[in-house]
Amino acid sequence: MSQDTTISLKVEFGGGLELLFSNKRSHQLTVPATVPKSTEDNATKQADITFLIRYLRDNLLQERQELFMENETVRPGILVLVNDTDWELEGEGEYVLKNGDEVVFISTLHGG
Amino acid sequence: MPPRTCALCSTSRAMLKRPKTGQQICKECFFTVFETEVHNTITRAKLFKPGDRVAIGASGGKDSTVLAYVMKTLNERYDYGLELFLLSIDEGITGYRDDSLETVKRNQQQYSMPLKILSYDELYGWTMDGIVAQVGRKNNCTFCGVFRRQALDRGASMLSVDHIVTGHNADDIAETVLMNIMRGDIARLGRCTAICTQGEDTIKRSKPFKYAYEKEIVMYAYFKKLDYFSTECIYSPDAYRGHARVFLKDLEAARPSAIIDIIHSGEAFEVREEVKATQKAQQTCKRCGYISSNDLCKACVLLEGLERGMATAGITDRGRKKLDAEGPAPDNLRTIPFYTAGAAPAVSVGPD
Amino acid sequence: MADCGNPNVEQDALMQRRKKYDRTRQCVKCHDQLGNVVIRHAVYCKGCFFPTVVGKFRRVLEPSISKDKSKKGLKATGNLCLAFSGGLGSSVLLDLIGSNYFAAEGDAGHDWSRGRGGGTEHPRNEPVWEHATVCYVEVCNAIPGARDRTEEIRQIVSRLASYAKFLPLRLEDAFDHAWWERVGRSKPHGQLFVDLGHQDLLLSIRNTSSSPVAALKAYLASLPTQTAVPTAIHNLIRLLLLHTAQLTNSSHLLLGTSLTSLSISLISSIAQGGGFVVREEAQENWQPDSTSSQKVAVSRPLRDVGMKECAIWAWWRGLEVVGKENYLGGKQGIGALTKGFIIGLERDYPSTVSTIARTCAKLAPKEASDGLCTLCERPVQPGVQDWKERISIRQFDEKAAIARSQPGLIQRLCYACHTTLTSPSSRGGVGQSAIDAVQLPVWVESRVLGSDEMKDVVAEFLLDDED
Repeated sequence: MSQDTTISLKVEFGGGLELLFSNKRSHQLTVPATVPKSTEDNATKQADITFLIRYLRDNLLQERQELFMENETVRPGILVLVNDTDWELEGEGEYVLKNGDEVVFISTLHGG
Repeated sequence: MPPRTCALCSTSRAMLKRPKTGQQICKECFFTVFETEVHNTITRAKLFKPGDRVAIGASGGKDSTVLAYVMKTLNERYDYGLELFLLSIDEGITGYRDDSLETVKRNQQQYSMPLKILSYDELYGWTMDGIVAQVGRKNNCTFCGVFRRQALDRGASMLSVDHIVTGHNADDIAETVLMNIMRGDIARLGRCTAICTQGEDTIKRSKPFKYAYEKEIVMYAYFKKLDYFSTECIYSPDAYRGHARVFLKDLEAARPSAIIDIIHSGEAFEVREEVKATQKAQQTCKRCGYISSNDLCKACVLLEGLERGMATAGITDRGRKKLDAEGPAPDNLRTIPFYTAGAAPAVSVGPD
Repeated sequence: MADCGNPNVEQDALMQRRKKYDRTRQCVKCHDQLGNVVIRHAVYCKGCFFPTVVGKFRRVLEPSISKDKSKKGLKATGNLCLAFSGGLGSSVLLDLIGSNYFAAEGDAGHDWSRGRGGGTEHPRNEPVWEHATVCYVEVCNAIPGARDRTEEIRQIVSRLASYAKFLPLRLEDAFDHAWWERVGRSKPHGQLFVDLGHQDLLLSIRNTSSSPVAALKAYLASLPTQTAVPTAIHNLIRLLLLHTAQLTNSSHLLLGTSLTSLSISLISSIAQGGGFVVREEAQENWQPDSTSSQKVAVSRPLRDVGMKECAIWAWWRGLEVVGKENYLGGKQGIGALTKGFIIGLERDYPSTVSTIARTCAKLAPKEASDGLCTLCERPVQPGVQDWKERISIRQFDEKAAIARSQPGLIQRLCYACHTTLTSPSSRGGVGQSAIDAVQLPVWVESRVLGSDEMKDVVAEFLLDDED
C-alpha cells in the first residue's frame, strides 16, 4: 500500500470560532502524514488531532490563542466533530487523520 | 492623606480593613465585633444553658485554638456558666499530628482547660499512617472523616459532656453548601447550614464560628498572638472539594459578602416534602451501636474492609459487593467498642 | 479547618473521573446505527439525536399548556413570547418552536416532528398559539464600546423565526415612562430616586428631564461594585421581557436557557443569596399585579438539554448563531466566575451540570414569603434586614432604628437585590465619585407609590424640580 506523505483535510469552524481564523468558516489544508511526537526527541507519530490543534494554532490562528487552545488540547466548551462524529467516539486527540477527513471545531461559548 | 478613623468607634485610628464588611476599623473594635458576632450566634441559637459541659474539638489548628480562646473569653464575659474541655483526636499521622498535639497541650496550659486525647489506634486499632499504607492516598480522607466523627462523639461521651463545639467557619460551610449541590447530596444539603445538629444517639454538635470568615479568624489569632499550628494535613488529596474551594475564593475576591450570601441561600431552602419521604431513616449499627442509615455503620464497614484486606469495601459499590461475596465477617474480627451516648461514666481528665 | 478536620467529609473524597461513554459505540436508542455523538455517557446516532432533543423539549414545555377541552390537542390561553439574546440557546429555541408549533403544512425535512398542534396528527389542527413575538433587548448603552445590534438581530430573527413578529426593546426602556405607558400602565407622578450611598437606601421623588439612557448609566454607575452590574442588567432584562409578554397578551414567555446555563444561573444566584427563589430560577408564574387575572408562565424548555446538544443541533441544522452580547462585567463578575467554573468542570465531570439542576429542583423555600421584591418581583423572604444586621455588625449604636422612619427601599427588597445594590467589593464602586441619588426603574416606582401608606409618607419628601 502506497504511503501518502501528506494528508488533505477540510477544517471548519463554528459558533464564533471562525472569527479567530480570518473570519473564514471553511479551510482546506494539507498536513504531513508523519509528524514529530514532541519537540524533544526524534520519535515520530502519525498525524492526529492533537497535532492538528497545535498546527492550527501555529499556522492559522490570528489572535487570542487562549480562546482556542489550552493545555495541548481545545479549550473547555469547544466541541470537535470528525466526519460528523463526536471525537469522543473516535479517541479524541489520538484519532489518526486520514486523507479527506472533515474536522469541525464548534465553540459553545459565544461571546463569553 | 490624614489617617482614617475607625468606622465603629470614630475615635481610634483604623488599622485594618475587615474582610467581611470592608469597614476600616481599629484593632480593639475588631476584637469586639468578632467576639460579639460569635456571642450573638450563640445566644440567638440558644446553644447552651448554665452548667453545660462543653467539649471543644481541638486540632491545634487556628480554628480550634481561636475557638477555645473565644469560648473561654465569652464564657467569662457573659457568664454562660459552662464547663469547658479540650477534646483532641490523634489520627496517627507521623509528623503532622505529633506537632499539632503539642500545640493542643500548650493550649491546655494557656487556657487552663482540661484536655482529653483520643487516638484512632486505641479506638479502631488503626492509625492513618497504617490506613494510607493499605488503601493509598485516594480514599484515605473518607476513612479519616468517618472515623473522626465517631471519635469525637465517643471522646465526648467518655467525658460526659452535653455538647461538642467545632471550629467550622463560614468558608467551610459555604464550601459545603456548594459541594452538596454539585454532588447531589440532598440529605446533607438539608442539614449543612444548621448551626446545631443532633441525631437520635449522638451528642449535640454546634459551630459557633458559622458566620466567622476564615480570614478574620486568622487575623484575630495574629493580633491576639495566639499559639496555633498551621500546616495542612499531609494526606489531603487534590479532591473535588479543592475545585469548590478555589471557586469560593474567587467569589470572595469579587465580592466579600459572597460567603455569607451562600450560607444565607443554604439556610433559605430545605428539601421538599415529597423528596424527604424517600430518604432513609436512621437506625443504630448492629455491631457497634453508633447511629447509621444501614445495618452496619460506615465506620464498621470501613474497618471490616481494612481488617479483611479489602480496603475499598466502604468506598465503592463494587468494593462492597466483593466484601460480601467473601462471606460473613469472621468471629474474631476486630470491632469498634460498643457505643451508647451519654451512658459512659465520667472519666477524670487530669493533666496528660 | 484543614480538610481532614471536617466531620462532614463526603462519601467519596474524589469524584470519579468519568469514562467517555458506556461500553458500546452503537446508538442507545435504535441499537442499530453507529453513534455520532456522546451526550453525558450515552451514544446517539444522528437520526435518533433529533427526536431525543425534541422529546426533552416538549416534556418540559407542554405540561404548562392547557388542554383544549373540545379537541384533543393543546391550546394555550394566550399568545407566545420568545426571548432572544442571539446566543446558542435562544437560537435553538426559535428553531424548535418553529418546527414543532408553527410548521407550514407539507413542510419537508421535519420528519422528526409530529406536526402542528402539539400532539395530534390531524393536519388541520388549531395552532397552540395564535401569535408569536420574538423579543430582543438591546444592551449597548450599558456597555462602553458596544455596538447596537438591533438591525442585525432583526435579520437573523427573520430567518430563524419567520413565523413570529420581531419586537426590539432597549435596556433603557426600564427608565422610560413613555415605554411604561406603552405597555399599558398608569402615568407616573414623577421619578422615584434612591440614594445608594445611604445604608437604608432612602427614597425621594423628583422631576427630572434626564434621558432614559442617562438614567440607565447613572443607575449602573452607582452600584457598589463592578460585579453587581451584570446582575442588575439581567434583572432589568427580565422585567422588560415580562411586561412585554403581558403587552402581547402572551400566556407563555419562553427563554432559551440550556441545562448548562441553568446550572450556571442557579449557582450564581445561590452565590448572591438567592437561595429562597431557587425554584423560580427554573420556572415561575408571573402576573403584572395582584389585581390582574393574566398570568404569564415563564418556562425554559431547553433546561434538560445541555449546551453540547444545542451546539450540535445548531450545527447539524445549519442555524446561524450570532452570539450573545457579553455583559458579564469582565472576568470578575459572579456570573462569569461561575460560568468558568462550571464549564471547566463539565468537561471532566459532565454529570455535574445535570446534578446541580436536579438537586435544586428538589429544594423548596423553608418559609412562606411576605411579598414581592420591588426590584425583581420575586418572593421576598421575611426578616432579610434583621438577618444581615445580626450576622455582620456594622455599627455599635441604635442609629439604625431611628433612620428607619424615613422611607427607604431597604424594606422592600429581597436579599439578592439588596446585596446587588449594597454589597461592596474590595476594589470600590463602579463610579469614580460619590454619586447623588439615582433614578429607579419605572416598575419600582409603580409598586412603591402604589401603596397608599407610601404615597403619604413620600409626599413629605417631594423635592422641587431638578435638572
